[in-house]
Amino acid sequence: MANIRELLIGFGKKKQADISTANVTSDIWRLNKLNVQLANPKFMAEDDAAELGKGHEFATQLFKSHVDSAAHQLEKYLSSEFAAWLWAFGLGKVVKTGAGPYTYTCTPLNPVTDGLELPYFSYIEQIRPGAARVLDRMLVGCAVKSWKINITKGVGRANAKATVEFTHSGAITDPSGITLPAATAENLLNAYSAAITILGVDYVSLKNFESLEMGWDNAFREGFFPGSGQQDGFQIQGRLEVGDRVPLFNFVARFVNGSTELQKMRDLTTGTAVVTLTKDANNSLSVTWQQVGFSVVEVGETDGIVTVSVTGKPQYNATNGVVSAVCVTPVDGIAQ
Amino acid sequence: MLEKQQRETTWMRPPDGGPPKEVPADPAQLVPLMVAGWSQCEPPQQPDREEEN
Repeated sequence: MANIRELLIGFGKKKQADISTANVTSDIWRLNKLNVQLANPKFMAEDDAAELGKGHEFATQLFKSHVDSAAHQLEKYLSSEFAAWLWAFGLGKVVKTGAGPYTYTCTPLNPVTDGLELPYFSYIEQIRPGAARVLDRMLVGCAVKSWKINITKGVGRANAKATVEFTHSGAITDPSGITLPAATAENLLNAYSAAITILGVDYVSLKNFESLEMGWDNAFREGFFPGSGQQDGFQIQGRLEVGDRVPLFNFVARFVNGSTELQKMRDLTTGTAVVTLTKDANNSLSVTWQQVGFSVVEVGETDGIVTVSVTGKPQYNATNGVVSAVCVTPVDGIAQ
Repeated sequence: MLEKQQRETTWMRPPDGGPPKEVPADPAQLVPLMVAGWSQCEPPQQPDREEEN
């Protein structure tokens, strides 16, 4: 018997050299997570039920097919370390500056010049690794399919959380051969430190912000192609390419006399949205949505207070693109 | 002083493969370059000076 709380996870802090080259032990960091789901690779088989010549409609044998590309989830409280990892691996383009703390400036890939593949990482799950292991496997060639950051009112770490969905090429090393390091001590970015300015409105000064959801979906294209490779005879993906990417920026604020959201929607006003979380000079995240308009604005209520729910529409700015993030953290080498 | 200089600048290479450029490590300057396809790179090697006889 094993308790799910024994589960250890580690994943590439550094990027893999390519989709099929696993991270080595020194590339891996260990972080805790919240969700209990395991990253189960789904080996798929097909049968011969539909084939003619058997005299009946039933299957008589199975054939190895492929490893399904279902996305796996990683849910965490937001920290400066994980924020830097999320933005670097989730958008794909990163510039690291500084000599400690390190500043990671992240933007989405430019498909014309950067290609369509995000940085890859390996993902390790272990329960009692070693001779009496219950589980010890490494998923090689993972990439961030989508992510969300939720900032809400309320207390504790749960007021700033991140959820990452990642897709796996299908290649597995079992046992992993990785000795996970001690868990990284993370510097949390709780919502109490938030600074939020959207289309010129400083919502923190007005004390009327309720919640924010921002995210990104890389909408991967399927990576099964002639020559993509196999794991134990099951086809795996040889590339994970971004498709038509979808940004997400929604928020809820109290609706009061002088609130401008409805008018801005009618005027199709656009502007920047800047969201910053700061622990200290060495730990922060500042996100700039470079050109946001409001596509839906609805007045309603939250806990008995009149609020306005805004569905934002992030747009592409010719100079600064869709979104950029500046992550400051003491950890070196993220996505390098 | 050198350390301070390294903290405040970085090297970026244009997408057309042209010579790298040293730019301030300032997101306001980095982001437009990144969007335009520039990528971070190592500083160029300084040519060795020939010793004078």
